[in-house]
Amino acid sequence: MASTPRKPLIQRSPMPGLGLSMGITIAMLSIVVLIPIGALLTRGALFGPENMWGVINRDRVWAALYLSFRLSFLAAVFNLVFGVLLAWVLARYRFPGRRLLDAAVDLPFALPTAVAGIALTALYAPNGLFGQYARDIGLALTGTGWKIAYTQWGIFIALVFVGLPFVTRTVQPVIEEVEREVEEASATLGASRLYTLRRVIWPTLAPAALTGFALALARAVGEYGSVIFIAGNIPMRTEIAPLLIVIQLEEFNYDGAAAIGIAMLVISFVALLAINLIHIWSRRRIGNV
Amino acid sequence: MSDTTLSRIRFRSATDERLWVKVVLIAIAVFGIVILVFAPLIVVFAEALARGWQAALNALGTRDAQSAIRLTLLIAAISVPLTAVFGIAAAWFITKFDFRGKAFLITLIDLPFSISPVVAGLCFVLAFGANTAVGGWLVAHGFPIVFALPGIVMATMFVTFPFVARELIPVMVEQGRAEEEAALTLGASGWRVFFTVTLPNIRWALLYGVLLCNARAMGEFGAVAVVSGKIRGQTATMPITIEMMYNEYLSVAAFSLAAVLTALALLTLLLKTLLELRFADQLAATRRH
Repeated sequence: MASTPRKPLIQRSPMPGLGLSMGITIAMLSIVVLIPIGALLTRGALFGPENMWGVINRDRVWAALYLSFRLSFLAAVFNLVFGVLLAWVLARYRFPGRRLLDAAVDLPFALPTAVAGIALTALYAPNGLFGQYARDIGLALTGTGWKIAYTQWGIFIALVFVGLPFVTRTVQPVIEEVEREVEEASATLGASRLYTLRRVIWPTLAPAALTGFALALARAVGEYGSVIFIAGNIPMRTEIAPLLIVIQLEEFNYDGAAAIGIAMLVISFVALLAINLIHIWSRRRIGNV
Repeated sequence: MSDTTLSRIRFRSATDERLWVKVVLIAIAVFGIVILVFAPLIVVFAEALARGWQAALNALGTRDAQSAIRLTLLIAAISVPLTAVFGIAAAWFITKFDFRGKAFLITLIDLPFSISPVVAGLCFVLAFGANTAVGGWLVAHGFPIVFALPGIVMATMFVTFPFVARELIPVMVEQGRAEEEAALTLGASGWRVFFTVTLPNIRWALLYGVLLCNARAMGEFGAVAVVSGKIRGQTATMPITIEMMYNEYLSVAAFSLAAVLTALALLTLLLKTLLELRFADQLAATRRH
């Protein structure tokens, strides 16, 4: 793709099917994605910024937005650490069951979220397998049984589950491509293994890890199916932002739903923009790797 | 440096961790995946079979379950081919022609990945709901979109929109245009070039994208929950029916349907892993680059 200074809108090409492929692409993109999103933004514009602020600036909405973004961030941080570890283990070590482990990482992509939701709830409910342990351990240590499901911990676990594959899948191919010679050179120059990992390997992984982190964060913020079963959905405490939209819709308050939907979009895009800026900044600092 | 450390250094490769470090890292990875992935998986089947095979099969034979299974298959049968056609057209348009705004177009195609499914559903309600101009006209002419099949299909397409295109674009970029150009010079028609030159080159990548698209289409919950209206026997897909049964404390029924979807997810993962093992070189560069 040579880029000449002033190229025409569409360059002439002997390839067939320009009209057909462009027509299908633009028509379907418009009907399925652009018109619906446009409808949301139009509804918001007609409702007016002041009215939208009136909907959003309520304790219950702030609580839900804060909960959604805070827990999504924490879950993405957990996935960042665990995902890099998992990618390292899968890419570098050979042990029995590695392929099974590798395939299992993708299950959260393939498993429907509602199924994940009821399965996690069954596990972490007070009478569930893990929920029972939590209750007993809590009773033994503090005198009160710990609860996981129907608390913020339950939401956190569901968000960790749905975000699990992102960091691993973006970082793993990069680890496989790291040249051993670089590590050997570092070791020959007297660096300890930990120093090599920190100063030689991590900088090459960091951009991919950050991309995975951003994807996991975006996914977690919008997640609905796996969370609503385990969350308990108590207003002000375990109510996530997408659920508020559903509640507004059930009350046929379309303006209110649009206002919260637009607020979520804006916050997500600001967060992703911030991550992209960190990306650019870290590339400039470390060099383009 | 004492003799003992010297001998240890001599026998350990400079680009390897110590054995105990490896064992600990592998143990953490396995423990995490067992807790996060395998445990929910086992729970689904255990809960489905809690009252034996017969109870699970009976639950799958009820009218609600049967209509949910039929509806989910129908939605996948309509939405997945349409998304595949879009993916092929978009990949052809993007990789075979040079035009301005290509990066912007790719961003638009990726947009659904960063939007919450609930917000996606909301967009369709606001664009085509019975209280909008377009939606009202369509309802008056006997073609409702929201709370009916077309809306569910469109919402499903929204959330699966980038899958096929994203898989095909890197593969087709890597393969370039030389083969197609040669076929054109030899006098082949456009369709002949596509079916005899391009399609054989991208078939495994296409299958891979369709596989992931299908898994998501059959399991989508958030977007469908909003646009379907959850009408029992009419617009309740399998995930929606799972939610209804779960909320009615029909645990065996809910988990039996969930087990069917889980089996489908496992089959998807199996096929995906086989494709990756067998045709890694012909799949999207994303995974190995």
